[in-house]
Amino acid sequence: MTDLHRKEIEIKKEQFQELVAELHSPLNRTGLSFKIWIGFLLLLMATAAFMYVRQLRYGLGTTDMRDIASWGLYIADFVFLIAVSLVGSLITAILKLSNIKWATPLTRISEIIAVAALFSALLIIVVDMGRPDRLWHIFVYGRLQSPIVWDILVVNTYLVISLLLLYIPLIPDIALLRKTMGHKPKWQQKMYKILSLGWQGTADQVKVLNLSLKALMVVIIPVALSIHTVTSWLFASTLRPGWDSTIFGPYFVAGAFMVGAATVIVTMYIIREAYHFKEYITDEHFNLMGKLLVLTSLVYLYFNLNEFMVPAYKMKSGESAHILGLLVGDYSLMFWSVQVIGMIAPIFLMAFKPFRKPKPMLVISVLIVIAAFLKRFLIVTPTLLHPFLPIQNYPESYHHYNPTFSEMMITVGSIAGIALVISIFTRLFPIIPVSETAHEKGFPNEIINNS
Amino acid sequence: MAKITLLISIIMLTCIPNANSQVTPWQVSAEDAGKINSIPIELKNLGIGRNIFTRTCVACHGAKADGKGLIQSASLIDETFQKQSDGSIFFKINAGRDKMPPFKGMLKEDEIWSVINYLRVMVNRSALPPAKDVKLEVSTGDEIKSITAFVHSADSAKLPFPEVDVSFYIKREFGLMRIGESSNLTGADGKVKVVFPEKIIGDQEGNVTILAKVENSFIYNDAESEVFRKWGEQMVTEDEKFNQRALWGSRDKSPVWLLLLANGIIVGIWGVILYIIYNLFRIKKAGKIFIKE
Repeated sequence: MTDLHRKEIEIKKEQFQELVAELHSPLNRTGLSFKIWIGFLLLLMATAAFMYVRQLRYGLGTTDMRDIASWGLYIADFVFLIAVSLVGSLITAILKLSNIKWATPLTRISEIIAVAALFSALLIIVVDMGRPDRLWHIFVYGRLQSPIVWDILVVNTYLVISLLLLYIPLIPDIALLRKTMGHKPKWQQKMYKILSLGWQGTADQVKVLNLSLKALMVVIIPVALSIHTVTSWLFASTLRPGWDSTIFGPYFVAGAFMVGAATVIVTMYIIREAYHFKEYITDEHFNLMGKLLVLTSLVYLYFNLNEFMVPAYKMKSGESAHILGLLVGDYSLMFWSVQVIGMIAPIFLMAFKPFRKPKPMLVISVLIVIAAFLKRFLIVTPTLLHPFLPIQNYPESYHHYNPTFSEMMITVGSIAGIALVISIFTRLFPIIPVSETAHEKGFPNEIINNS
Repeated sequence: MAKITLLISIIMLTCIPNANSQVTPWQVSAEDAGKINSIPIELKNLGIGRNIFTRTCVACHGAKADGKGLIQSASLIDETFQKQSDGSIFFKINAGRDKMPPFKGMLKEDEIWSVINYLRVMVNRSALPPAKDVKLEVSTGDEIKSITAFVHSADSAKLPFPEVDVSFYIKREFGLMRIGESSNLTGADGKVKVVFPEKIIGDQEGNVTILAKVENSFIYNDAESEVFRKWGEQMVTEDEKFNQRALWGSRDKSPVWLLLLANGIIVGIWGVILYIIYNLFRIKKAGKIFIKE
């Protein structure tokens, strides 16, 4: 080996250490602002927990759900969270399998969003139950013919796959953490030790890891599609105006990819600003994510057109009350705000490059996420208030649904929980994949494994 | 001045409930309000009025007519209601408003008047003489399927009672099915006959229970009698349908295709997941070998 070659390796080694130091920098931060942020999130969650204990004690009467609108904010939140979780498969699996390299720094962000959103979704569905102590009945007495059982199966399967897809690419990074985080508390080091699985980067290990990763990426796509398709079937398999639709599956999946992409943009903006990752999450990433968001939004727009145009054209007597309620009635303000601010305007704006810069993208994405939540609400509630059989002999208050403070706080708590999981994750693990980035930057294996 | 103030306050007070309910008030013309009730308040007519009241009014206005039925509705026994003229009430029942359906066409004019009479008596029941005890005997025709009810006095003399309204029913799984006319009055011999309708489904052998009742009468206390006849058609239960594997079946009756499909997917996907978890152990093992070397 020549001196020149040795020197080159030395330089590369230094560069690699610099890269690791930069990507590990969030783990070594000790700022007050983070503690305040965590405290704030915990406060929101504590409020939600208090409201939930109250709900357990006094029953679902603390919500505004009654005989007619028996699904409300909680179910809208559940559908929203499931939709958000789908992005894990979009960014990690679909883009990766298509050999799209630019998305690498976003894979872990999207995967942790998916996992956190799924945990939250599983909790909120229990919150919606009047008798959560009977949850085990679904496993003991559940019928395979019921979409509820399919939902339980597929959500849990997707959660396991998402956890694996988060964890497996993390193994080499955890091995690196073991070497660099010697100054951390004992429990943290022990966790790294267990989770790193004794990763040495040997040819055998790399081969098994890549094989597992590929298998996961392939298997997650059908599972991801089915999780939201089954969620949509919970509605579509019920004979209700507005739900009685054959395109509910793809309609939900398209909407999920759209809100998921917007969520990733919001999260990557915050992470980029909080941890000064401008070099890794570049303006170009926002540009490209913007294009991806336009694509997903256009698909969703197309499904929306089908979903509302066709029934509105026919105006079947049973469905007309529901459709008119959305288009010109009680819910028209919310409906058109959601459709215009949360879909049509963003598509139009993001078609122009200046709007695909980080700041405008943040604003647009936040609007899309809020609109997406309201859209889920519009899918769930107005339908229930317009059943095919006329509403008779009910108290006046049963004819409307306005979420109570308790419901709102629990829903906010479920979102705060996601933020908490992501925030803490960024302080325990590198949020931007280290070894993958190093590989893509052309660092040889020996340096990555032995420095 | 005082009179004007009083007038204004009365007008305003009467406006408040209307403003709240946002329903246009009934406009009863003087001509309608002045209509004379053509049905006299007689015990026989009151029975008819009570029958109609129980069938059509109780659901919303409540058994006591106090407005506390399945929905909150107007009280028919309070002063504001009772001080109206018969013609006024007749018009309102006929025309309906908001949740109160129009009964024009559903009830005959005489029937509406009878209901009004009944409502009048409701607030002043003690004015009526005490009701008499009756006995009801039921016999059936042999050639044609018919039921005859014989209403007579409760004592051994068995004096027949004419002009008693008898209700006939067939017992069904959940409740009673009315047969005969809406009003079946006994003749001079105290008897009234109704024909058993065709195509009535009975139990597995075709048995039906037929009931005759004297009820809701002001003159007589309630009485009933029943007979058991094999007059109905046999009930055929299609048990095979329940035992089939179908989407509506119970847990152990899932369709085979669904079992195969769902379990196939579960096994396929979880096979991959388990394989990947197994791979994690392989990675761990590979690391250990490296350390030993």
